[in-house]
Amino acid sequence: MSENIVEKEIEVKNLSFYYGEKEAVKNVTLNIEKNKITALIGPSGCGKTTLLRCFNRMHDLYKGNKYTGEIIFKNMNILDKNIDMTKLRTDIGMVFQKPTPFPMSIFDNVAYGLRLKGIKNKTELHNRIEHVLKKSALWDEVADRLSASAMGLSGGQQQRLCLARTLAPEPDVVLFDEPTSALDPISTKKIEELMHELRGSITMLIVTHNMQQAARISDRTAFMYMGELVEEDATDIMFTNPKKQMTEEYITGKFG
Amino acid sequence: MDLRMVRKIKGYIMLFLSTIAALIGVALLFAILYKVIMAGIDGLSLNLFIKDEAPAFLQEAGGLRHAFAGQLLLTAVASLIGIPIGILGGIYLSEYAHNSKIGRFLSSLADVSISIPTIIIGTFIYSILVRPVGHFNGWAGSVALAVILVPIVMRTTEESLKLIPWQLREAALALGTPFYKVIKDIVIKSALTGIFTGVSLAVARIAGETAPLLFTSFSKNTLSFDMNEPVASLTVSIFTYASSAFESWVSLAWAAALVITVFLLITNIILKQIMKRRSY
Amino acid sequence: MKESFKTLKVKENILKYSAIISAFFILVIIAGIILSLLIQSKDAISKFGFIDFIFSTSWDYGEEIFGAGRALLGSILTALIAILIAAPMGVGMAVFIVEICPKFLKGFISSSIELLAAIPSIIYGMWGLFIFAPFIENTLQKWASTTLAELPIIGSFFQINYAGGIGLLTSGIVLSIMIVPFIASIAREALMRVPKELKESCYGLGTEKWEAIRDVSLPYAKTAIWGGIIIALGRALGETMAIAYIIGNMNLPLTSIFDSYVTVTSVLVNEFNEADGMQLSSLYYMALLLFILNFLTLIAAKLYVARRS
Repeated sequence: MSENIVEKEIEVKNLSFYYGEKEAVKNVTLNIEKNKITALIGPSGCGKTTLLRCFNRMHDLYKGNKYTGEIIFKNMNILDKNIDMTKLRTDIGMVFQKPTPFPMSIFDNVAYGLRLKGIKNKTELHNRIEHVLKKSALWDEVADRLSASAMGLSGGQQQRLCLARTLAPEPDVVLFDEPTSALDPISTKKIEELMHELRGSITMLIVTHNMQQAARISDRTAFMYMGELVEEDATDIMFTNPKKQMTEEYITGKFG
Repeated sequence: MDLRMVRKIKGYIMLFLSTIAALIGVALLFAILYKVIMAGIDGLSLNLFIKDEAPAFLQEAGGLRHAFAGQLLLTAVASLIGIPIGILGGIYLSEYAHNSKIGRFLSSLADVSISIPTIIIGTFIYSILVRPVGHFNGWAGSVALAVILVPIVMRTTEESLKLIPWQLREAALALGTPFYKVIKDIVIKSALTGIFTGVSLAVARIAGETAPLLFTSFSKNTLSFDMNEPVASLTVSIFTYASSAFESWVSLAWAAALVITVFLLITNIILKQIMKRRSY
Repeated sequence: MKESFKTLKVKENILKYSAIISAFFILVIIAGIILSLLIQSKDAISKFGFIDFIFSTSWDYGEEIFGAGRALLGSILTALIAILIAAPMGVGMAVFIVEICPKFLKGFISSSIELLAAIPSIIYGMWGLFIFAPFIENTLQKWASTTLAELPIIGSFFQINYAGGIGLLTSGIVLSIMIVPFIASIAREALMRVPKELKESCYGLGTEKWEAIRDVSLPYAKTAIWGGIIIALGRALGETMAIAYIIGNMNLPLTSIFDSYVTVTSVLVNEFNEADGMQLSSLYYMALLLFILNFLTLIAAKLYVARRS
């Protein structure tokens, strides 16, 4: 794919999101480019995580929440009531702030999403698990103890395992919610390298409060403030020559 | 005496009294245990477990096999009825109704139900399962025990499940897991130790109950597994034997008291140790 | 095969609805108890009314005139005696465990106290009847009969009218042993939640350990402790088997705290299985009143804690 042909993976149109009465995301319109990394930045409470959790309808878990507007993905509005949530979440995966290993073996953790998809064949499972564990740079560390409990891994390993688990069902999009904020610098670097390698084959959205991280890894950056999208552009432009003064002030650390 | 001295002495007196209170508590446990062991050890023999009731005037050594078997039967059936309902109810409170008004209401109600006098539950079950049938029966006893079991299991399940971080549920959902599978594979599995110990403690509690059985399963002096008939139980047997005039029966009552007390104390100690070591 | 959307929905609903039904079982139980007690006691309710029943001390099988006066008073008095002893004891135990106890003894002492709650009620009854009552007779009653009972005016409250050591006070004491672990564990948890900084800032002002406990820790834990005490009161009201052994079951006027007496639960144990007609209906009426008393106490505890925290 050539660099200058822009293909849209997700189109956000006039999206607002309410926690009860409170409007947490206000009328956001945004295109997410295919197979690129888009970073969502902004001060805490700006709605970036709330926006991220709209893409896999995670808010539906809690009562009293409401969406308006549209999010178009694969020619469908995923905010539609009749959407198959299971399918949606298989296509759009998510990695969380804290590692979330399931209380089962390393193998079963990664196999979980595959089994949900109906893959039962042992050899196929094994091959695919080996593949994603290698892709997540975890294979060498766990190859000899795949049946050990995932709870015994270190925090950084657990997070890479969660990434592998998310990648296994081959999603089109992966959402990252501050995936490295609970990790040490070395583990952080590993996750960032992995994201870098995945770019080009998977669309990624990352919420981060770490400006250097956004600058290091993302292709595009969106800056949010008080629930509104202030500005979105190519990352190098956002960090060197933003159009809005507020963006510049945030990026240079004048508030946040 | 200066003020500082007075304050110091006052403080020491209060702390001393607290210490005494705690020591009295510990002393009581061992005093009761000691008496139960001393009084029960004489009647403790193989006969206790392999013989049924012998008429006291015959001077023949009897046993309480029928009562042990009956107690196990009643408790097991009560568990089969009460544990699934309790766990499912706990799942509703923690997973489906968390933070909702109805969830909080039912949870409080369950809390209150835990302290309903068990004898009142006995009179309630008598009116619906004994009177209409016309005679005491095992089912009534087990249902009465199950009614005591349900709220305890429900609350302990709810509390165990609530300790599991929400992010774990979200992570499973984010993989496209249906919610019932999230509960079954992830939440329940993570909370298994907590649920297991909580449920076992609840079963241990009903295993020592007497009052709800008096008006329901009542008693029987032979071995029987017919739930449509009265069923013997250890606790009710202890009650009748202990207040009887026959020395051999009183001695058997103490032996049975020893068995049940030691069993419950050991069960409690083990379960509480497991509870302390669990990760969630 | 991947499960179809439909079978998924079905499985989802099976779990959801069985969970909902199970949770509402609690409501069914409570409604069932209230309803069945009301139906069974309606003859007694219509014959004796409310005020007459709760104050009447008559228990006449021949004339079929029954009143719950003594039983209710007995239940309330034994529970109050139990609380008066168990509340300070339980809080004291908690203070010792949290603030004083050396670390290596902590687990042992707090588990020992907790284990008191694991002993079945009937064992307390036997122990109370065969060991504790004679002990009370030889110590407390012997002492009281030569001192308190000799006092003018109030002396008769301490008269020994029954042998064996059983009676109202002994029942209250045994009851207090049964509920003290509950109060102690609630108080212990509440005291452990007191922020360290709060205590440290208090010590920083030069207070003694006890003063810090009295002025900072206990006030901080107050709501939870009072809530626990009220719940314990509710439990004491409904305690049955231990009381049935040691209350003495004497349906006679109460003159001294050492007298044998009755409680609602002891009357139920002794008469329920042989009762019929108006007597059974009156027993159900008594059970209903005890249930209401117990329920209101527990709800009061819930509301008190909810309101204050």
